[in-house]
Amino acid sequence: MVKSYLRRAYSSFAAHVFDIPPRLMAFLFFLILLIIPLAGLDPYYLSIMIYANVLAIFAASWDLLVGRTGQISLGHAIFFGIGGYSTALLFKFFGLPTWVTIPIALLVGCSAAVLIGFPCLRVKGPYLALVTMAFPIILHSIVKWSPLNHIFGGEFGIRGLPAFFAFLPIRQQRIAEYYLTMIFLFVVSVIIYKVANSKTGIVFVSILDDEVASKACGINLTKYKLMSFVISGLFGTLAGCLQAHLLKVSNPPMFELTWSFAPIIVTFLGGIGTIYGPLVGAYIYYILDKYFLTIQLPKLCEYFGAALPREFEYAKLLIFTLIVLILVIKWPRGIARFTTDKLEDLEEARDLDERGPRIWKRYKRKEKK
Amino acid sequence: MREDPESGKGIREKRRSKPSLGLTMHLLEVENLTKRFGGLTAVKNVSFNIDEGEMVGIIGPNGAGKTTLFNLISGFLEPDSGTVNFEGENITGLAPHKIVNKGIARTFQVVRPFRHLPVIANVMVALKSPRGARKIEWLKTMERKAADLLEDVGISELALEPAENVGHGTLKRLEMAKALATEPDLLMLDEPFGGLNPLETDFLTKSIMRMHLDEPSRGILIVEHKLYALMQIVQRVIVLHQGEKIAEGKPEEIAKNKMVIEVYMGKGM
Repeated sequence: MVKSYLRRAYSSFAAHVFDIPPRLMAFLFFLILLIIPLAGLDPYYLSIMIYANVLAIFAASWDLLVGRTGQISLGHAIFFGIGGYSTALLFKFFGLPTWVTIPIALLVGCSAAVLIGFPCLRVKGPYLALVTMAFPIILHSIVKWSPLNHIFGGEFGIRGLPAFFAFLPIRQQRIAEYYLTMIFLFVVSVIIYKVANSKTGIVFVSILDDEVASKACGINLTKYKLMSFVISGLFGTLAGCLQAHLLKVSNPPMFELTWSFAPIIVTFLGGIGTIYGPLVGAYIYYILDKYFLTIQLPKLCEYFGAALPREFEYAKLLIFTLIVLILVIKWPRGIARFTTDKLEDLEEARDLDERGPRIWKRYKRKEKK
Repeated sequence: MREDPESGKGIREKRRSKPSLGLTMHLLEVENLTKRFGGLTAVKNVSFNIDEGEMVGIIGPNGAGKTTLFNLISGFLEPDSGTVNFEGENITGLAPHKIVNKGIARTFQVVRPFRHLPVIANVMVALKSPRGARKIEWLKTMERKAADLLEDVGISELALEPAENVGHGTLKRLEMAKALATEPDLLMLDEPFGGLNPLETDFLTKSIMRMHLDEPSRGILIVEHKLYALMQIVQRVIVLHQGEKIAEGKPEEIAKNKMVIEVYMGKGM
């Protein structure tokens, strides 16, 4: 009795409060993100959000390539590293300002995407994944190679890059950087979303679904795969540039496997193939990682009188892999899409409510079970 | 073909104004086509021609090499020897998408829809190809053209349904709409009636006939197992057996041909 009342109360609440079209929801999401710095957060928390924004850009670009075009890439870190290193090298050797180096770095990223794409996209499926995985490993060893230390700076990378807003005091700098990455995230996600849902995006999905059939439709697969690779690489490079200037350093870890797997984890968290999924996933990932695992967990351990082992840092990837495994089994379509599906269900239920007798609804519920 | 709306020049008429090919030239000429898979010769020295506006059927028992022949013509397989000429041009060994853009469209025996896309977007993929985009007429959007194509094959009410939700009969017709989107000069249908019930077969037969009347200069090549449905619509039949062409002629002649009966029914009938 009480349970049914509660359920009815919840469903009427849900139907009235969540009665928001998706476009408005996306707008609200960005609005909330815009207000966050005004709440007077600690700079540390703000920097979590900043890096979450960068990862969101990076993961959204991966999602276009893999979730929409079906070209599985396990080496997206290559664009991240190329972005970071090319802006750093341009600064180091030519002393160019940030707003000149980033566009040039984007061009470098695009041409790298074409160069890598041509040989890579000849192979399919798991073979493509393996081939793409090799490229960041090659570049990783090149930038670490000691005879080239005077160019790439070896293990330590290229340090002392200019910050975006060096003229501001440190606290305002964080807020300004937050807004900057926010704007980039907004623009990039809108562009990627528009591309993914354009007529070209339809062709991308057709390649994901059936390559033979899209050939039979007269589609030049190489052209469209390359297009997807270049767009994806462009925004991946942008994320790398931003990261380099935020951390003020470009170092070999940018080419590491962690940066290839981060977008995968984030995209699966949010929902692959949605483009908005990775955005949600990136925030969840960073808040889990940098807040709960870095701040709260040690505190908890201290409370119980135990210390976290130093190796815990390396176990994080394992933890996230486990989370992703559980998610893939439980919610294969990701958190963001799970939510939108729920909203659609509510809408449908309301439609039935308006159009038909209650018995329909009861019948429908039975059918679902 | 869409430059000047005022003078009316350049507006494409409904019928194609392409000059007819010469009397001596065929639409499709297949010469001594051979394909081997290891020790097995799937297609052996097959030659035939198709003229403009002709409807030709290819029949044969299972494993006769019909689908291989289709794949050879449409570029999905490369022949070991022999040539394929289309509209006087050698297209042997070209990439499949290039052949589609030259004007040969095909369907598949097993339906191959794009399952994540709505039905109408499936057709829009074909309209996005160079030839498909060129065939969109003046003052028509891609969506409009796609909707018209779905209307032609009779599935327009399912246009917005995801392709993974619709039935097999619809998917068969969708295959046809996809092939028609590029307005091919030669349409190749690989078992269009496979897995359809008699009612659907009847409907599809009618729509193929209507298609043929709408576009009289288009050649149509059909591979089919349902001989009854096929013999009604085609003008000429080619019989394949173990990769070789054993007979060619009008449907009535083929039905009486001793060799064909032997191949289908076994000796001693």
